[in-house]
Amino acid sequence: MALNRRELLGGLGAASASAILWAMGCRTQEQDTLGARADADDVAAWLRSAVVRIATAFPAQAATAHALAVSRARATAAVDVLGRGVSRGRVEGVVLRVQLRDGAWHEEVTADLSRAGVDVIAGRLTGRSGGRDVAPGRGGPDFGPPAKLVAGPSSDADDPLALRDRDLLERVDAMASADTAISSRIVYAASVLDIDDTALWSVALGRQRAQRSVRVRRSVTRVAWNGTRPVISELARGWRGGVDDLAFAPAEIQGVSEDALALMTPGELADGDYDIELAPAVVAIVLDATARELLTSAAARRPEVAARLAVGATVASPLLSLVDDPTAAAAYGGFAFDDEGADARPVPLLEAGRVVGRLADRAGAGDAAAGRGRRPGHLGPLEAAPSHLRLAVGSGTRGKLVGSGLVVDGARGCVIDPSSDRVVISARRADAVGGGDATGRKWADVEVVGELGALLAAVSAVSADALTFPVRDEALGLPRWRSIETPAIATRAHVRARRRAT
Amino acid sequence: MIDRKGLVRVLQDRRVADWVLTEREQELAVVDERAGLQRHETRTQWTLVVHDDGPTGRGSARVTIDALGGRPRDVVEQALALAKAAIGPAWQSAPLAAPAKVALEDPAVAHGDLAALAGALLAGVRVPPGATALRHVVVLREQVAAQTHGGLHATWAATAIRGGALVTAGARSLEIAREARRLDDLALGSAVDEAVADLRALAGAGVPIAGPCALVLTGDALLHGGELGVWSVFATQADAVVERQGLTRYRIGAPVALGAELVDEPLAIASDGALDFRIGSAPMGDGGDAVRRFALVEGGRAAGLALSPREAAFRHEDPNGGVRNLVVAPGTWAGIGADAARVVEVRRLRSLAIDAYTGDASLEIALGIDHVHGEARPFTGGTVRLDLLGALARARRSKDVIRRGAYDGPAAVWIEDAELIS
Repeated sequence: MALNRRELLGGLGAASASAILWAMGCRTQEQDTLGARADADDVAAWLRSAVVRIATAFPAQAATAHALAVSRARATAAVDVLGRGVSRGRVEGVVLRVQLRDGAWHEEVTADLSRAGVDVIAGRLTGRSGGRDVAPGRGGPDFGPPAKLVAGPSSDADDPLALRDRDLLERVDAMASADTAISSRIVYAASVLDIDDTALWSVALGRQRAQRSVRVRRSVTRVAWNGTRPVISELARGWRGGVDDLAFAPAEIQGVSEDALALMTPGELADGDYDIELAPAVVAIVLDATARELLTSAAARRPEVAARLAVGATVASPLLSLVDDPTAAAAYGGFAFDDEGADARPVPLLEAGRVVGRLADRAGAGDAAAGRGRRPGHLGPLEAAPSHLRLAVGSGTRGKLVGSGLVVDGARGCVIDPSSDRVVISARRADAVGGGDATGRKWADVEVVGELGALLAAVSAVSADALTFPVRDEALGLPRWRSIETPAIATRAHVRARRRAT
Repeated sequence: MIDRKGLVRVLQDRRVADWVLTEREQELAVVDERAGLQRHETRTQWTLVVHDDGPTGRGSARVTIDALGGRPRDVVEQALALAKAAIGPAWQSAPLAAPAKVALEDPAVAHGDLAALAGALLAGVRVPPGATALRHVVVLREQVAAQTHGGLHATWAATAIRGGALVTAGARSLEIAREARRLDDLALGSAVDEAVADLRALAGAGVPIAGPCALVLTGDALLHGGELGVWSVFATQADAVVERQGLTRYRIGAPVALGAELVDEPLAIASDGALDFRIGSAPMGDGGDAVRRFALVEGGRAAGLALSPREAAFRHEDPNGGVRNLVVAPGTWAGIGADAARVVEVRRLRSLAIDAYTGDASLEIALGIDHVHGEARPFTGGTVRLDLLGALARARRSKDVIRRGAYDGPAAVWIEDAELIS
């Protein structure tokens, strides 16, 4: 019986499945660019008015009043073995917030980005109705310099969302046709171009900000059947800026097909301790999980984490230095200010293996600086979360960091238990190396297990080059964007087959 | 502006072959001690399922819309385009069936100030002396209205409460989570008590000793992850789509594992989405299919599949609303005897990984009790790898039951042949 695309992707578990399905979903009217529904100056005025109402109702807490509005558009184009499509969508909303005398932060949220919508939730938050618009510099409170949407493309010609459907499809078609390594053994192939265009306004007394972020993500997926299991190979790249700024080279796309077509060694990998090289894609999911589960103000509420990862503690090899830097040029996870309105700045997390900082929002910052208060989709509940993680490079050669052992590549997932430091890293394959060269033996579906501290402390080499990985996942149905820039690392750990041979 | 009437009008104008529109008007209150937060949100969410019939077959799409802005015509056109992109073999929708009669609304949550209710609920969760807890609750109430192409209109009210806490005692902590339809069923206080007891056991826990053992999985280990836990392997195997692709071990009428039909108390599992006040319950599914109770496993043999309207049509059966609340028949096993040679009782897991196709599972142990000839020694760490389908099919099930979230079944299971890996 024939399968449809949804079943095929569901069965394979491809990471890009949701974007592919989304892209194939619709062909809507032509472009729906920012400003079509709400004028940027109007939005700022509505938020100022709301902040004034909150500050008036709670004068002692006026400094904590904050308004955040978002207008987010998404355009996704994809081509796969079953067809091609373009999808566009839009989400808007407002969050009003104030910290009351009891210390609790009170929030009201609406999906209605209009004067009336903002008025309604301002009334709820203050328990009063009415209110008036207050323009800056006219005798009202000081909101600081006017905020303009910045960091967007300089002209319509560079504006991804000004591109027509056919322009987007031309680009994904070009990605598909660049692959000369494709063969009949590839059972599924897809190319995706995914664009998020977000306009964000943040207003508090004495401080107003606005930014426009255009996030572009390109990915290619190849699936080949190998024995009793599918082998999935994926490549993704993301950035902020123009749609073609960091497009794939044809050789990179061909490499994805070649990886999928690589023949696996029959049988299963023998469980045991190995010298391993974790490829950048695998290091990226470990760093991402480490930062989110262990290096945030929320994680530090756990006594085990606070003790194990206290600032100043040595928790990793001196070869490892990690920073979260939203100001990195064109970083997919970067931003100009966080969802509490704090200006972007780098936060060093590890320096030469020592903990030197953690990510915090205002509620969890304590004595530390805030600046990582992020809301899923800019509307969900605040969480302290990373933006663009960057692991410092070393001097080794990627692919040759271990003389004899395994190169673990193809990230599937990483689970860290914050209380015990136990880590389980799932990867698509492990390639055996001996005498510094590949032996040709490759096993699919492996797990690296152990204590995270031991894994990081045993790092003996770091490659001189780094790769960058964009992450667009969802929480409560709302998107979260971040990125990880990392080299490969060599370490020693226990590796086992994820699935028994059948 | 999107509204239900506008969407229905466009669906009728476009002569869509079949459709189901569900509107949810929701109000949420959040109180979260971790973030010092009180949050209130109102929202309207639509779920639209459309089926488009063409010369090459039928395409279906399910879209969720949570933005107020936009035009109903655009939404319908998008859904239809998505359906056209997923065309499969032709099938016809089943005749309309009456929605299940099921109560989902807690009268105590139905009215009043939701934020105050959430605050009171949180304040009522007591923490034992010597421990602390950062508690959080989300209280939701919603009015649901469903309308189908065939003329069925159904409305119902529902409530849901999610609660959790980061419980700390001494130098250790545990995260707990519970979900219920009624305030009285949440039992967050008893979950905190259990967590504190386990934290005290963890304080004296040693290292795991590798070797063969019998394995006992209890409440939180059994339901790790807050939903169906280890039992989710049966929900995956009973997925009609995966079964049709031939990717499951589960075959209707065949034992779910070797010898599963020969044990003293063969396994029996049912899905029942018509139980009052249970998290998985609903009158009807998003596809307009009436929710029904059906057997997944009977006498150790695979007995039924989760059938969406499409899968049901392919198999000439009635849809059943899919796997919802899992009802596992209890057994007669009364507990770990003092004469047991070696039994590892697993109280909590760090992680649970289940291979969707084979049912192979890795259980990373957060807290276990090693029972050897009547002596109990707590430990932390270690791994157990199981053929979960076989292990649960042949396991002895406790006569004590727990009802938590979407699970209703034995409070513990005894798995005879396991091996603890340190």
